[in-house]
Amino acid sequence: MNRVFQGFVGRVFSYLFSLWVILTLNFLLPRLMPGDPLAALLDPASSDYVFDPEVRAALEAYYGLDRPLLEQYARYLVGIFTGDLGRSIRLSRPVGELVASRLPWTLLLVGTALLLSSALALVAGTEAGWRRGSRTDRALVAVHLLLANVPVYLTGMLFIHLFGARLGWLPMAGGRTPFARYETLLAAALDIGRHLVLPALTLTLGMLGVKFLLVRNTMVTVLGEDFMLVARAKGLPEGRLKWGHGLRNAVLPFVAHLAAHAGMAITGAVFIETLFNYPGMGRLIFESVTARDYPVIQGVFLVVSAVVLTANLAADLLNARLDPRVLEG
Amino acid sequence: MRRLPAEMAFGLGILALFGAVALLAPVVAPYDPHAFSGQPLERPSRAHPLGTNDVGHDILSELLYGARVSLTVALAAGAGTVLLGTLVGGAAGYAGGWVDRVLMRLVDGMMSLPRLPLIILLIAFLGAGLPQTILVIALLFWPTTARVIRAQVQSVRTRGYVRMARLFGGGPAYVFLRHILPAIGTLVAHGLVVSAGTAVAIEAGLAFLGLGDPTAKSWGLMVRFALNLPGLFLTDRWLWWALPPALCITLLVLALTFLGIGLERRLNPRLNRRWQ
Repeated sequence: MNRVFQGFVGRVFSYLFSLWVILTLNFLLPRLMPGDPLAALLDPASSDYVFDPEVRAALEAYYGLDRPLLEQYARYLVGIFTGDLGRSIRLSRPVGELVASRLPWTLLLVGTALLLSSALALVAGTEAGWRRGSRTDRALVAVHLLLANVPVYLTGMLFIHLFGARLGWLPMAGGRTPFARYETLLAAALDIGRHLVLPALTLTLGMLGVKFLLVRNTMVTVLGEDFMLVARAKGLPEGRLKWGHGLRNAVLPFVAHLAAHAGMAITGAVFIETLFNYPGMGRLIFESVTARDYPVIQGVFLVVSAVVLTANLAADLLNARLDPRVLEG
Repeated sequence: MRRLPAEMAFGLGILALFGAVALLAPVVAPYDPHAFSGQPLERPSRAHPLGTNDVGHDILSELLYGARVSLTVALAAGAGTVLLGTLVGGAAGYAGGWVDRVLMRLVDGMMSLPRLPLIILLIAFLGAGLPQTILVIALLFWPTTARVIRAQVQSVRTRGYVRMARLFGGGPAYVFLRHILPAIGTLVAHGLVVSAGTAVAIEAGLAFLGLGDPTAKSWGLMVRFALNLPGLFLTDRWLWWALPPALCITLLVLALTFLGIGLERRLNPRLNRRWQ
């Protein structure tokens, strides 16, 4: 019990440490860069000069470049914890507000794709592992190996062309119909759902390959274990063997990899949102990179990193709950 | 002589093809990719087999020259990643003790960071360019290799012949070069291939997001320029403009993955039984 508790504290500590590294990196990076990209924003001679005096004043106040570095750092940390992420140069709005308006879209997209790809991978991976070596297995492995290597924007382009342009079944871009006024909540949900189908499907396929291969390979290992032999000798029906004993034990590494998959999902979402013009955080990154909107790039980086790190910690702890040996090691 | 496994043959074949295209680009490409060789947005014709882009560059020539960018990044970033990973992993595995603990802590910490957002932030401030891209990839992706190398070095270090060599007075450099390096050779090759695949995908992705070298015409940059055209998907123009570079990226990544699978089977022959 004591070692489990120590393991728990260790995880939380390393989580906090990673978070601190991210925060500090985000603070130091722009200030240490040669050519000083931040000073360029306030320098009338540079091409990046911000013309809007109100935004310029906000920038000066936010970055506080004329103060000692430690004071800047302290103000920065206090700002972060009171929700002040700076102000967008391009849109002249607080970064926090921008992020808050975009985050739900990305969570919707990533959440849907994570659930769908996990369910599909668990079922297909178990079946393939169960019939390892068969023609079905080999076909499934080949398809998923391909999926694991295709960039999501390629799949996305094919979908846009086929279901959007050619067949006209689904919208090609956006998160909802522009300027739409919804009569009922159901109408709103349907419209958002229709826009979600293609991006979510693309992201699902983008994550499916890696997940499937993981489940299949664990399943193959599990099937070779002694307890499977015993279970079979007891005369358990095939269904119980496959799902009750096989899959149940193959789930553990799957959960352990969930955090890595969340990071992968975020990566995929950046490309997919850019391609589909989907109004989430990924699209926001793309837009601010194009406009060299540094405060937004930094704000998005912080929020996304915090989300991924927290997902890491949650998966770690969930895994420890499923298998307490994890924390003892 | 052993026959080359199918996946190795496929990977090496594609790689050789792209390598030849990259080397011979000036010979095989019909035009200079930066020359305004036609009208903007021409459809495919005998003069321009894949048409022209929005400013009148020949798309086929862009595609052929693009192999140079991708292969350069694959080679340089792959080598950098593996070099760092082998150094750190080798040191941790060989030294053990507190050196090992500190280095592995670093590896764990780096692996928990969300890489793509970090890469975007770094490139946004470092400026977009091929050297920056290569540097950032190598600096962020070495921990995966380091972990694998460390495990192998740890196991080799305690084997009889290595212990003997050390007992007879072999210094760390001698033991490392003479005994440990050969034992991790295939592993290093595997790491190189896998990191090269990652690097190709990342470079293309960065160019796609507008964080690539704007002067290096890469496949990712071609996709980005194509997508900039409003209503690209309403006509079939994307089929010869956006699709070919995306397919090239996929093919190259796939080739490197297959090469990696082949090397992995050589490392661990038991996998063969499992997969067949």
